[in-house]
Amino acid sequence: MRDTLLAKFAFRTLGRNPRRTLMSIIGVGVGCSIVLYMTAFTRGGAEMRIRGISESGFGHARIAPATWDKTRDSDLRLEDWERDLDIANGMAGVKFTAPHSRTTALLAFGTRVAGVEMLGVDPESEKNTSRLIRVLSEGRYLEREDEGAVVIGTAIAERLEVELDDDLFITIAGAGGEMKYAMLRIVGIISTGSRTIDSTICHVTLSEMEQLTGYPGVGEITIVFNDPSYIDALTVRLGELLEGPDPVVSWKVVIPSQGGDMGSDAVFMNLLVGVVIVVAVLGVASAQLTAILERKREFAVLIALGMKGGQIVRLILIEAVAMGVLGGAAGLVIGLPFIYPGATQGYNFADMMGGDFVTEGVLFDPIVYADMGMWLIPLAFGIALFSTLVAGLYPAWYALRTNPTSALSLREA
Amino acid sequence: MNTNLVDVKGVTKDFHNGKITVNALRGLDLVIHEGDFLAIVGPSGSGKTTLLNLIGALDVASSGDISIFGHDLMAMSRKQRAELRLTSLGFVFQAYNLIPVLTALENVKFVLELQGVDGGRHERAMSILEDLSLGELANRRPNEMSGGQQQRVAVARAIVARPRLVLADEPTANLDSENSEALLVMMRELRDKHGMTFVFSTHDPLVMAHATRVVTLLDGRVVSDETKNAGDAAGSAN
Ligand SMILES: Nc1ncnc2c1ncn2[C@@H]1O[C@H](COP(=O)(O)OP(=O)(O)OP(=O)(O)O)[C@@H](O)[C@H]1O
Ligand SMILES: [Mg+2]
Repeated sequence: MRDTLLAKFAFRTLGRNPRRTLMSIIGVGVGCSIVLYMTAFTRGGAEMRIRGISESGFGHARIAPATWDKTRDSDLRLEDWERDLDIANGMAGVKFTAPHSRTTALLAFGTRVAGVEMLGVDPESEKNTSRLIRVLSEGRYLEREDEGAVVIGTAIAERLEVELDDDLFITIAGAGGEMKYAMLRIVGIISTGSRTIDSTICHVTLSEMEQLTGYPGVGEITIVFNDPSYIDALTVRLGELLEGPDPVVSWKVVIPSQGGDMGSDAVFMNLLVGVVIVVAVLGVASAQLTAILERKREFAVLIALGMKGGQIVRLILIEAVAMGVLGGAAGLVIGLPFIYPGATQGYNFADMMGGDFVTEGVLFDPIVYADMGMWLIPLAFGIALFSTLVAGLYPAWYALRTNPTSALSLREA
Repeated sequence: MNTNLVDVKGVTKDFHNGKITVNALRGLDLVIHEGDFLAIVGPSGSGKTTLLNLIGALDVASSGDISIFGHDLMAMSRKQRAELRLTSLGFVFQAYNLIPVLTALENVKFVLELQGVDGGRHERAMSILEDLSLGELANRRPNEMSGGQQQRVAVARAIVARPRLVLADEPTANLDSENSEALLVMMRELRDKHGMTFVFSTHDPLVMAHATRVVTLLDGRVVSDETKNAGDAAGSAN
């Protein structure tokens, strides 16, 4: 313990003008708590976005045919979907998988028609990965053995004026461009709570889809990971395991605009955090500078005694660290009472905006929960320490320049 | 004895304040010997403080030569001068000497810490305070001590690192005669017992009375240099 007195000196200096120290600590604490609050909600919002996307049947990632990302052609099929599915199911970190195939279809009943993107599903897998199919206003969801069965959304049912057990007339453009026709019986009508989504849902089994289109196999495999925080790494890992012609893309590629929105949220957040930190730094720096100016003679004496520049800087930085630790603690004390209700009760956007929360087939939960966790602690202390250390640099530099002759004369006192 | 601790030769110091130049020292010569208990006197503005700042390596002369313990002060870097002050010089200032948030003992220990002394700092600091009969003040902060007590603790701090030379700029200026007397007796004892060298600037007749040698400045030059022999056990050749 070579520097015990230096540290004591620094700590006691904080007590010399307790009001100023307290103001600085509260200033850092308030800035810190604003950053914590915003970060907690941004993270909560991102979590909600990813959950909404995943639970709307998009998963966290997707194994898709190589050219799918460019063409977005729903008639494309995977090279070897059964192998892909086995590998994905066998990989650690994968929670659920759901194979899908798609085609564009025209549904008709009497004189009424509706165009939809028809989705071929494995009913068992689908129940794990999509929450859209969980609420049916009538009938039941598909089962693996179903033949000639279809499940549609309530909005489609209303448009076509159909009921349970009615037979829909289906027209699709099949393999080789020839038109194909079929009759499918409505076994269930889905009500997700969103009219937008209910006007798009039209599910059949995978084997039904094969028969209808004449394209064998599966168009894509939706993947849900155990831990959404590692989506990017797990996506890369799965791609390496597959090492085949069928690549894996994350949800950001599947729905690029959602990824872009999340990115711009993050940029906006970082800007705000930057502004808050700059304000805190300037506040603390000016308080510190005043304190140093008041101690000019003291620094002159210290330099006259032979204290080195490095030791003076250390003295001031220890003060800054102490203030940072207290400021970080203040940030948690001020911030947590605001974050806690945000984490437990959430913030309901439906009250503010009204209507459903749907974009591009994603049904969002209108309640955003703040993400409250242990990560708040290092963030609080990190921001507070960063602010007080940066704020200490100019005052430290100023103190270094004190002329030691002013210690001997009363002239400059 | 008789060793030249400090040798000041033809030193000038000019201060420039905008267009006005003040020639604070104008070719000053002075030799300080080991064991001197030297009072530098002279009217206000005659250059006493300026001279102490130069000898104390706190400021740099405009021209001339200063050698201290045989080293050429003019050739030293800022860092070397700081090192010299830390290891070989002790300072007692007119006022506000002590660090207000540290106790008397901590103020003394702090110099040892700055020097990088590792073991026995506490014992060394405490024994200095006790030698100077300041033991009871050890745990008091400066604002809990009188001006005289603070100055004596400042002397303890100045000598704890066993410097070869102690510089004091008007150390008694803020003290009453009783406290001034106590302070001077204490320093004189250190000089008599340990052969420490003290240089004061002062207007105080009491300091002159205790001094073994009195140098008078006028307009930045030495105009008289008297060595007192009576009662000066340590003696001085000049
Ligand atoms: N930093 C400075 N800037 C400008 N002029 C200065 C400075 N320091 C000293 N001087 C001038 O140099 C001259 C000598 O000053 P100095 O402080 O050495 O005198 P002194 O003998 O110590 O006086 P006093 O007895 O009043 O303390 C004075 O004219 C003073 O005004
Ligand atoms: Mg003076």
